[in-house]
Amino acid sequence: MQNLELLFTGFVTVFSVQNVLVTMLGAVLGLLIGAMPGIGSLAGVALLLPLTYKFNPTTAIIMLGALYYSNMYGGSFSAILLNIPGDSPAVMTAIDGYPMATKRKRPGQALYTSNISSFTGGLIGICILTFMGPALAELGLKFGPAEMTSLLLVAMTSIGWLVGSNPTKGVVLTAVGILIASMGMDTLTGSPRFDFGSMYLLGGVPFIPFVIGTVGFAQVMKLVDEKDKKSNNIINEKLTIKGSMISLHELKRLLPPAIRSGFLGTFVGVLPGAGATTGAFLGYATQKAFKSEEPLGTGAIEGIAACESANNAAAAGSFAPLLALGIPGSGTGAVLLGGLMMWGLNPGPLLFTNQPEFCWSLIASLFLANIITLFIALGIIPFLVRILTVPIKLMIPAITMVCIVGSYSSTNSLYGVVVMLISGVFGFLFEKNGYSTAPMLLSFVLAPLLESNMRKAFIISHGSLDFFVKSPISLVLVILLILIISTPIIRGSLKIVKNKKQNKK
Amino acid sequence: MFKEKIGTKTILPLGTTILGIIFSVIGFFKYGFWDENIGTLPGFFPTIIGLLLTGISILALFQSINDEKNSSRKENWYPVLAVILIIIGNFIFGMYISLFAFLIYWVRFYEKCSWKETIVIFTIMFVIVVGAFGAWLNINFPKGLIYNLLF
Amino acid sequence: MKKLILAMLMASVLVSPIFANGENEKQNVEGPFVPQQSIEWYCTSSPGGGSDIFTRTIIDIINEENLANGQNIVIQYKTDGAGEIGRNLVSNTKGEKADYTLLTFNSGDLMPMVKNTNKRFEDFQPISHMAVDKHLLFVGENPKYNSFEEVIEGIKAGDQIVLGGSKGDDIACYNALIEELGFDNTQLSFISHDGSGAAITAMLGGHVDLLISKPAAASQYVEAGRIKPVLALSTSRFPGNLNSAPTLSELGYNDVESPNWRSVVAPAAMSEKAAQFWSDVLKKVSESDKWKNDYINVKKLVPDYMDKNEFKEYGEKFQMNYLKSIGK
Repeated sequence: MQNLELLFTGFVTVFSVQNVLVTMLGAVLGLLIGAMPGIGSLAGVALLLPLTYKFNPTTAIIMLGALYYSNMYGGSFSAILLNIPGDSPAVMTAIDGYPMATKRKRPGQALYTSNISSFTGGLIGICILTFMGPALAELGLKFGPAEMTSLLLVAMTSIGWLVGSNPTKGVVLTAVGILIASMGMDTLTGSPRFDFGSMYLLGGVPFIPFVIGTVGFAQVMKLVDEKDKKSNNIINEKLTIKGSMISLHELKRLLPPAIRSGFLGTFVGVLPGAGATTGAFLGYATQKAFKSEEPLGTGAIEGIAACESANNAAAAGSFAPLLALGIPGSGTGAVLLGGLMMWGLNPGPLLFTNQPEFCWSLIASLFLANIITLFIALGIIPFLVRILTVPIKLMIPAITMVCIVGSYSSTNSLYGVVVMLISGVFGFLFEKNGYSTAPMLLSFVLAPLLESNMRKAFIISHGSLDFFVKSPISLVLVILLILIISTPIIRGSLKIVKNKKQNKK
Repeated sequence: MFKEKIGTKTILPLGTTILGIIFSVIGFFKYGFWDENIGTLPGFFPTIIGLLLTGISILALFQSINDEKNSSRKENWYPVLAVILIIIGNFIFGMYISLFAFLIYWVRFYEKCSWKETIVIFTIMFVIVVGAFGAWLNINFPKGLIYNLLF
Repeated sequence: MKKLILAMLMASVLVSPIFANGENEKQNVEGPFVPQQSIEWYCTSSPGGGSDIFTRTIIDIINEENLANGQNIVIQYKTDGAGEIGRNLVSNTKGEKADYTLLTFNSGDLMPMVKNTNKRFEDFQPISHMAVDKHLLFVGENPKYNSFEEVIEGIKAGDQIVLGGSKGDDIACYNALIEELGFDNTQLSFISHDGSGAAITAMLGGHVDLLISKPAAASQYVEAGRIKPVLALSTSRFPGNLNSAPTLSELGYNDVESPNWRSVVAPAAMSEKAAQFWSDVLKKVSESDKWKNDYINVKKLVPDYMDKNEFKEYGEKFQMNYLKSIGK
């Protein structure tokens, strides 16, 4: 129970007036930055870093930790209310969040679900981090290229659950997503690939403008149709605070997926190079395997809970390799590390040993940030939902502006705006013709990870396929993969056999 | 059966077929597929996925014949036109002026809202775009040709 | 109509403060250059990496010692096109703005740039060369090979060894190494990672046999006993906890090194006076205690200040040799 003791000392450090104020400030800024599309936590942390030089390192890292953490909450706000994911993990939140807010006309409940799930997932993640952070980090190290390849293949099968009613169309967009992601620099050889001679394509297609386009801007184009209908608001009914509250039954519905995703997300967050986005995607895909009261994709509470919980848990999980080994799991983690160095602290495997006060204060501040952010978020939701009562004719130009500004900010150039526009047009056309775009976004994120790991695995195995079965972790995952793929086939053929027998009778 | 015109329902799978062919051909011939010693080359993954896309797109193409034709209305494309104009205007007048000119035009003259509504939405967007993105987050939006000539 | 004019007025009043921040005092034509407006400093790597830390350290020192006439320095991260977009933008900056634009530039940037694009070192105004990073090879905790001699023996006996590293200069260093040793890329194969951090992770997990890294990223893991240096890719041994690694010449080969130099450049159109000013500012930075203690010593770099003329000559020579080596 030494960890608990250390954590307690951490709490003692955190509970100074200055630190609590700083945590609150970080939480509020994180919520705001998270809600703004195009500004990820990376930019937010980088922007605030200079501000923190005035504090002592512990206070400063507490503020950045709180900011990073609350950012995950904020990302879901714009996803649910405007169908513009504030950051990449929120892409999955939009799938169920936006329909729940607009079609089911329950924006308040959607936001509460998202925040309570974020809290649950985060809490699970931080608890795991507290008790077995270093052990978890070591486990993460065991996942080399071969293990990651097998794991990602299992993850890719989850796309099958997202393709919707027409599998052919689903596979088309999955493949399109992979090919778009393959443009730019080849990470292994460092040579250009599919750049078609363009300076811009050399850097690949940036994810955030791509998402803002396919999800958000395509939505604006669709909204035009709604405008001329009788209702001129997305929601006409009065939204009362009481009517936005979540019921006990709904709380019961959101907890199981949130808890499952909490564990899953923490684990994904620990893996090298995976991150919160992959966590959210996997959390959502896993939920497809479980029962939901309403079908996923139509505004189901379970869908929101599964991905929101997973992404916050992954954010907490990514602190394990950061603190225990000095390995940043994400760009944001890298900036945090950079910050440590600026204060003369040396991040690395000795951080826990040399700077226990610092590490445990950070973990304690995550607990505190999680609670403070929850309360701030719960308090502002009743006011936020009123955005949906704004007339559509005003929403269209306003969201268009947010799309432009957000995609510009994410690349610091007009290239982002152009990418946003093009992907918006295609997103709109595809949706109109019955293609669902979610598989494209998922494959866009997972395929580059899969490709680089697979190719690294081939280099290590000198071109032989045996890497799939050589390591025990990989072997288990491959067996799982075979089971996942063969189950529907076996079931399907059994059905056919049964039907034939019945027909004969 | 065959519907009168070729709509986006056929153009899209046709486009993805071509995309698949381009990526697999360039991938295979330009970037290389397999090396005896080091295994996969940069073209390996795109070639396989490109071929898959080509095949499945052709399947989708045949399926699409039976799909209902769905046309988008002219109005759906107004936001697209607006973004294109803002991108062009951005080079001359800068990002802020283009954005807010679009906002005022759309709200006041296209939607014919009252000036009061226009000013309210203008103020809100001003706070978000200029206040939050521009001033607070330090995003350097282009100032445009005219500004650069003047100053 | 009145209302329209009123709204226009309101809009212009609201928008005007945005344009007010660019001060418009004309530069004194006589006398030395003194910064009159804010400076944009481009960094073509993402925040948190080596180039970013290098840039922010310099800016911190400039601010602390007030070397830029109190003007604000803004870092612009332009990572599009693997950095090519940002480099293109800086090299094409013209007019007065060119005097207020700087770019962090290292040999890891130059090599892909001249290899993949038509841009050359001559498209920039060299400002100053600040420091040099060199590489080391490391093994993990329970290594198959305890020293580099064992690695060489292993390869000669038919083992196939995998070396992990970052991009750019790490790859250049690897190529120089296998050429000197006379091995091909199957006997000692290279896996390129997104950055030094990812390469070290692969080493810690035991997924590669050897690791190539610069000391800044690796020394912490050496201290913790997680990795062990086995070869210094330099003409002399490294100081401190990296001292145990021999150089190649100690093992009977010629020394191999591929120094990654870190420098600052500006648009080709920057005025002579401004270039001189910035070159002098960076000289003061390189002489400051904070630079020497908190950066050079902690990160184990080799300080090597060159003013703009020396650096110009050095950079051009480096580029010529590199182009020759890739047959371009």
